[in-house]
Amino acid sequence: MGVYSDDPLWADVEPLPQDDGGPNPLAAIAYTDEYSEAMSYLRAVMASNDMSERVLSLTEDIISMNPAHYTVWLYRARVLLTLKKDLKEEIAWLNPTALNYQKNYQIWHHRQTIIDALDSPEGEAEFIAQMFERDAKNYHVWSYRQWLVKRFDIDDESELKAIDELLRADVRNNSAWNHRWFVVFGRHEGDSLDETVLERELKYAQAAIYLAPQNQSPWNYVRGLLRKYNKPLSTIKPFATEFASLDHPDDVHSSHALDVLADIYEGEGTKADAAKALDLLAQKYDPIRANYWTYRKFLLGFPPEPDHPIFHHHNY
Amino acid sequence: MSLASGPGRARTDTAHLPDDLRLYIDKHVMYIQSLDRRKDELEYWLTEHLRLSGLYWGLTALHLLGQPDALPRDEIIDFVISCMHDNGGFGAAPGHDAHMLYTVSGVQILAMLDAFEDFEQRVQDGKRKIGHFISNFQNRDTGTFAGDEWGETDTRFLYGALNALSLLGMLHLVDVTKAVEHVDSCANFDGGYGTGPGAESHAGQIFTCVGALTIAGRLDLVDRDKLGAWLSERQLPNGGLNGRPEKLEDVCYSWWVVSSLAMIGRLHWIDKEKLATFILRCQDPELGGIADRPGDMVDVFHTVFGIAGLSLIGYPGLQEVDPVYCMPKSITQRILAG
Ligand SMILES: [Zn+2]
Repeated sequence: MGVYSDDPLWADVEPLPQDDGGPNPLAAIAYTDEYSEAMSYLRAVMASNDMSERVLSLTEDIISMNPAHYTVWLYRARVLLTLKKDLKEEIAWLNPTALNYQKNYQIWHHRQTIIDALDSPEGEAEFIAQMFERDAKNYHVWSYRQWLVKRFDIDDESELKAIDELLRADVRNNSAWNHRWFVVFGRHEGDSLDETVLERELKYAQAAIYLAPQNQSPWNYVRGLLRKYNKPLSTIKPFATEFASLDHPDDVHSSHALDVLADIYEGEGTKADAAKALDLLAQKYDPIRANYWTYRKFLLGFPPEPDHPIFHHHNY
Repeated sequence: MSLASGPGRARTDTAHLPDDLRLYIDKHVMYIQSLDRRKDELEYWLTEHLRLSGLYWGLTALHLLGQPDALPRDEIIDFVISCMHDNGGFGAAPGHDAHMLYTVSGVQILAMLDAFEDFEQRVQDGKRKIGHFISNFQNRDTGTFAGDEWGETDTRFLYGALNALSLLGMLHLVDVTKAVEHVDSCANFDGGYGTGPGAESHAGQIFTCVGALTIAGRLDLVDRDKLGAWLSERQLPNGGLNGRPEKLEDVCYSWWVVSSLAMIGRLHWIDKEKLATFILRCQDPELGGIADRPGDMVDVFHTVFGIAGLSLIGYPGLQEVDPVYCMPKSITQRILAG
C-alpha cells in the first residue's frame, strides 16, 4: 500500500498517525498519502527514539517533500551525530538541497551543526560563492558566513578579496558592505584605530560612490567611518560637492550628497545653506520623505508651516 | 490554521485601479475562515510546521478587522493546548518539537482570547511552566536567547521571550538588563539592527530589537533620528517598503518598518497615503487575502501584516494595533495593566 508499509526494513515499526489534539475539526485529517505515510513513520521512530540507519533515508524522503519541517532536520542531525556518520558525505548531500531551497532557514542551521562537528571550513568558501551566484543578498548565507569567519578565525585578506569580487559584480549589494564593516571593524572590536585603515576604506567607498552616486550603502559606510574615527563630516566636503551643489540646484547627482552637505553646513553654522539643501530634498530629490526633511529643518530652528503634519506628533 | 498560500492572486491591473480602492474587510474575514477548511490540499499539510503561528496571524487579523469571534474560541484553545509539551514549550502542531517562536504564538493566542484562566484550569501550573521553558533559553552570561535546544541565538528569540513573558507577567524570570545589553550590541553603523552583533541591518530584526527595548523600557538607547532616517528610506516610489537597501518592496515590511517607526515616534516620516495604496493593491478583491506584492499569491502572513500596517497608519474601520506586540491595543492594554 505504501512506500514504507511494503518495505521489510520498516516491518517492525507501527506507524503513528497524526494526533490532532482530540475531537477538533481545526486539524482534521486529509494528508496526501505519500507524505502522510512518511510522517507517520517519523512520528513512530521519534517516539521510540530510533537512531538507526534507516532513519536517515526516511528523513531525506520527508525533507525532499517538505524541507521547511524543522523537527525533521533536528532529528536527522541527532541521528547523524549518534551514528558518527561521515559528515563530509552529509555536506555533499546538502549542497544541491541548499541550492534548491535558498530561503530555507533549517538547512543553514543544519549545515552549521555539521560543519561545527567536522571542525573544518574546507570547501565552504567555494560553496558560498556558488550560493551567491544565485542570490548575493541571501541573509541566511551571510549570517552563516559571519559564523564561519568567527568560528574558524578566517583571515581578513581572503574575506576582503571575496567582498571586493561581489561588489564588483553589484556595487549596490548592502550585504557585502555590511560584511566589509564586520571584517574590518566588527571582529576587531576594542583594537586601536589604525589611520591607514581609515584612509583605505574611505578611498574604497568613495570609488564605489563614483560608480553609482545614488547608492546609499557606501554613503552610510563613509558616515560610519568618520563617526568611528571621530572625524568631522566636513572631511568629505569637497567630495560631496562633486555630486551636489547649492549653486546648481537642478544638477544634483546624489540625494545622499545633499544630505551630507546639509549636515556639514549645519556644523559650519551656515544654517541657511543647510535649510536650502533640506528644501531641495523635501521638494525635489526625495519628496516621499518630505516630513523627515522638514523635521531636520525644524531641528535647525526653522519652524515648519503651521498645518504641517509634524505638529500632529508630540513624542519626539 | 494554515499559512497555505492562495487560492487567490492580488490584482495585477495596476494601471486601472477602481476609484473605490478600499479594504475588502468581509472578503478577508472569509478568506481567513476558509484557510481552515482546506485540509484536502497538500499545501495545508506542508505548512503544518507553521500552524500555531498561522493561527496567531489569522486571529490577529480577525481582531483588527473587528471580527474577533469569527473563529471558534473553544476549538482554538483545544488546539493550542494540544501543541504544548510537558516542558512548557509549544510546537507548531501536535508532535512537532517545542520552539520559542511557537511558544510565543501560543501565549499571544491565549492572551487574545482572554484565555489564561481557562488554560490554567486545564493545564496545571501551565503559565509557570511556559515561563520556565522560555527563561531557560536565556544565556545568563551574554543575555541572548536561543529558540530551541540546538542553541542558535537570534534577536527574534530574545524579542519573543520578552513579548511572551511580559504578557504572562513573568519578566522577572529573565535578566532583562543583560538582554538589553545584547540588543544594544547589535546596533550597526548605519543605525539599524540585525540578528546578532555584526549582522546586516534588516527591518524585521529592527522590529524585534526596538520591540524588546520598548518592553524593557530602554528606548533611550536608540538613536531615533538615525534609525528613523534608515527606516524611512525603505519607502520606494511606488509607496511600498523594502526590508534592506536595494531590495524589492513587500507588504510584510509595512509592518516591520512602520511599527518600528511608530515605537520611536517617527511614523510620519513615511508617506502614509502612498503606503495605503500599495497595500490595498496587494489584495485579492474577490476571494480575500493580501499578497507580498501586486500579482502574487495571497497568504495569511501577508494578510495580517498588511492589515496591521494599515491599522498603524490610521486606515478607517480597523481596530488599533499595538506596534510592540502586533495584537489589538485594547487587549495588550488590559493585560499589561495587570
Ligand atoms: Zn513578505
